[in-house]
Amino acid sequence: MSAAEPNAPKPTHPQPDSDWWAEFDAAARRPLATRMRYAFIRTYKPVLDDARYRSFDSMEEYRAWCRDNLPDWLGFGPAQGSS
Amino acid sequence: MPFEYRQAQEVRDAFARESVRFLFIGKSGAILLGYPDTTQDADLFVEKSPENGRALVKALHSLGFDLTADQEAEIVHGKDFVQLKNGPFDLDLVFAPDGIPSFADAWARHVEVEGFPVCHPDDIIASKKAANRAKDRESLPRLQSFRDYWMAQQRRSRTL
Repeated sequence: MSAAEPNAPKPTHPQPDSDWWAEFDAAARRPLATRMRYAFIRTYKPVLDDARYRSFDSMEEYRAWCRDNLPDWLGFGPAQGSS
Repeated sequence: MPFEYRQAQEVRDAFARESVRFLFIGKSGAILLGYPDTTQDADLFVEKSPENGRALVKALHSLGFDLTADQEAEIVHGKDFVQLKNGPFDLDLVFAPDGIPSFADAWARHVEVEGFPVCHPDDIIASKKAANRAKDRESLPRLQSFRDYWMAQQRRSRTL
């Protein structure tokens, strides 16, 4: 059905990111417990998962530790093109 | 074992019993708000004060986290970030997230979802922008779209 048709239902969320909004609408129809079951996953993260406890005096220290110790592909390092 | 709804409830209830002031933040917070995505850890923004730290340590013990005396002292007396993998599930405790001026600021605009205290999407986005990690930069456009969706839903629910 085209939006130009006079009796066409108005989109709930007329937004440019309509595919994403359709996903958000679908998620909103699920109970929270179901959403969480789909959302939380567990995979081994090298280095990061190898200690039972870590602490950092500052977020800067934590970011530096991630940059210097974790594999780049984990994505914890600074974004490319950033200072 | 991934973090489960039941465990989120246990966190919420244990923290409430000890009057811990905290908020779900990061992608786990966004998921509580309805954001469909995947994550591995639960991130908690915890108010940084000795009193709240002592309450937090009690709550963590009640949940089954195995903390040494030194670790307890660190949590009570002030670290900015603590990673716990010594309990029934993994928790990241963030006491000073990037991009958010203070816990009080975040608390003033936080959202409750089924009793879970959650940072406002604007704060979740601000912290991810400020952290500027590669994985965050990739996910930010979709998260910002979710923020717009969520705000539209809030406006709709107010007018119904």
